[in-house]
Amino acid sequence: MSVATAPTAQHTRITGLLAATVSTDHKRMGLTVGACSLFFFLLGGVFALLMRTQLAQPDMRLVSDNSYNQLFTMHGSTMIYLFVTPMAIAMAMYLIPLQIGAVGLSGARLALAGLWTWLCGGLVMQQGWFASGGAGRDGWSSYAPLSNGTNTPGVGQDLWVIGVILAAAGMTVMAACVLATVARRRAPRMSLLRMPVFTWTGLVSVLMVVGAFPILVLALVLLYIDRHGGHIYTGFTGAIDYQDLFWFFGHPVVYVMFFPYLGAAAEAIAVCSHKRWFGYTAFVVSIMAFAALSMSVWSHHMYVTGGVTNQYFAFTSTALLVPAGIEYFDAVGTLVGGSIVLRTSMLFALTFFIQFLIGGLSGIFVASPVLDYQAYGTYIVVAHFHYTLFAGSIFGFFAGVYHWFPKITGAFLRESLGKLQLALMVIGTNLTFFPMFFLGNDGMPRRISRYPTHPGWGTLNLLESIGAGIIALGVLVFLINILVSLRRRVPAGDDPWLGHTLEWATSSPPPPLNFERPLPPIRSYAPLLDLRLEELDRARERREVTSSG
Amino acid sequence: MRGGAIPILAWGTILLVLCIGNWVWNDKPVSGAAATAAVVIVYAFGVALWVARPESVRRGPPDSPGEPEAVPQVSVAAAAIGLSVGCALFGLVWSEFLLYFGVGTLVASLGRLAIELRSERASRRRALRGTGPR
Repeated sequence: MSVATAPTAQHTRITGLLAATVSTDHKRMGLTVGACSLFFFLLGGVFALLMRTQLAQPDMRLVSDNSYNQLFTMHGSTMIYLFVTPMAIAMAMYLIPLQIGAVGLSGARLALAGLWTWLCGGLVMQQGWFASGGAGRDGWSSYAPLSNGTNTPGVGQDLWVIGVILAAAGMTVMAACVLATVARRRAPRMSLLRMPVFTWTGLVSVLMVVGAFPILVLALVLLYIDRHGGHIYTGFTGAIDYQDLFWFFGHPVVYVMFFPYLGAAAEAIAVCSHKRWFGYTAFVVSIMAFAALSMSVWSHHMYVTGGVTNQYFAFTSTALLVPAGIEYFDAVGTLVGGSIVLRTSMLFALTFFIQFLIGGLSGIFVASPVLDYQAYGTYIVVAHFHYTLFAGSIFGFFAGVYHWFPKITGAFLRESLGKLQLALMVIGTNLTFFPMFFLGNDGMPRRISRYPTHPGWGTLNLLESIGAGIIALGVLVFLINILVSLRRRVPAGDDPWLGHTLEWATSSPPPPLNFERPLPPIRSYAPLLDLRLEELDRARERREVTSSG
Repeated sequence: MRGGAIPILAWGTILLVLCIGNWVWNDKPVSGAAATAAVVIVYAFGVALWVARPESVRRGPPDSPGEPEAVPQVSVAAAAIGLSVGCALFGLVWSEFLLYFGVGTLVASLGRLAIELRSERASRRRALRGTGPR
């Protein structure tokens, strides 16, 4: 395929950091979004640590009630709108063109505009901290009528609304460009059912972003108008309308925050098992079914409102078990009979499946309206969604980082530091989130800044706060690992893990137009593994001819 | 776009199955008109794509592009568009000046984008003639 590079690069003569900020290279854009997301992750983590310090003991008064409301709102919003979702898009933006043999992103300019819109959204949202009355304080869902102009006056909440609109619009644009790339720029012979597992998970994620995020933008534009005298979300139906719109975005986004990390974990497991991913077609069908069902379950967040048909949404929510089961079966099937190497990426991937299982199984309980009436608004829900959103994303994310870091930088991350990080994060995650099930079962409500002295609550909350500190230590080890690995580089070569997919067929880091050598033949979703197996077959045949001769 | 209509038609089918399930099973089904409209819209979109581009229901990899593809390397205009949209909306809340400044820079960025696109087309034409950067 011939490529005409637009002359803007030669004409503008932009160099250095500025060149990185206006680059339309998908790899640079992916890294920029990833780096900014990581910054927001650290910021959201600081908010979480402040909250956990406040809750470490009964009736602590480290921050005021109003500040606590801002902290949990900005923690959730920062993590969801500014870290987990954009990081998933960043990974898709960096890796998918490489995996499908494309020279770049379709609509790269649009993606760059989306990147800056998203980043402006993040900064506008955080600007709320400097507003009189503080930042947004109605939770990451910002339910109406709590969030209307009467109940939550002030510029901070307006900045939150505008920030989320910008962030969601920017992510939609970036996702649309990834979608267009998969549709239009696949290499010759790269049919849909020859796309790698990560590409499929990324594709399904961006499909959901394009389908669901505009609804959030719409809901929040209406909320902004409502806050400024529009009277849109009024009365009971207004409240239900807002929740319908919000959760139509809010549930698919859970899978947007899960699928690319599932894909990363799947790639790490397949490569570290030296086997192709088991049950590929079933896996593809299962994630498509997952995506379709995810857009049919939104009202399970609204069982207690009495404004939705609980049976139907309980049915669709429980049906999610079937595709999830297929994914777990495929993961186990890939491991069985594999020649397993327990690298850090593999350990993170295995932990991802185990930790997410806790979130998934607790999801079955809250998918049942009868049990949800009991659990709603308690720490059980907090435990459930942190096991799905934190454990289900972060461990897959780190599996991906340890897997693809050598490709992105050309250097290895330190395995010993990686394993230390994993140990800290597993201990920290379970110490933080598992006691929440007990607290919730005992009736501790979520979103409270202080709690009375109650048998057991102080101890469990203290354990959770210690756990949060251990997670922070794990993240610190990760940052140290990156610094050490970049400063004292251990060169990785182009294909250090014997990868299966096309990104391992190019240099590390990849050149501007991705591939300088001709692509290998694409006969399946693991073309490099096919090549290796063919070479092995040929070597075996030669040996047999020699021995028989 | 080869195969592009297949997921849309599949999506419509899944929606149809879910709507039927909802209608059969539930004592408070979703509005029949809304459900039918949703299914019809999704199907209509898929069928329109099929009619416009028959290859959209054929499986397989995309056809190899006959012409050189334009791959821009930098775009000041695109970055400026993103920033100016952010600036304008921030101004909506924070300060009216930023709103006008954002709209102004948005217009200027769109002008710059037009220049970039023109130069990209010229670059493609040169590449087609075999005289430009490839």
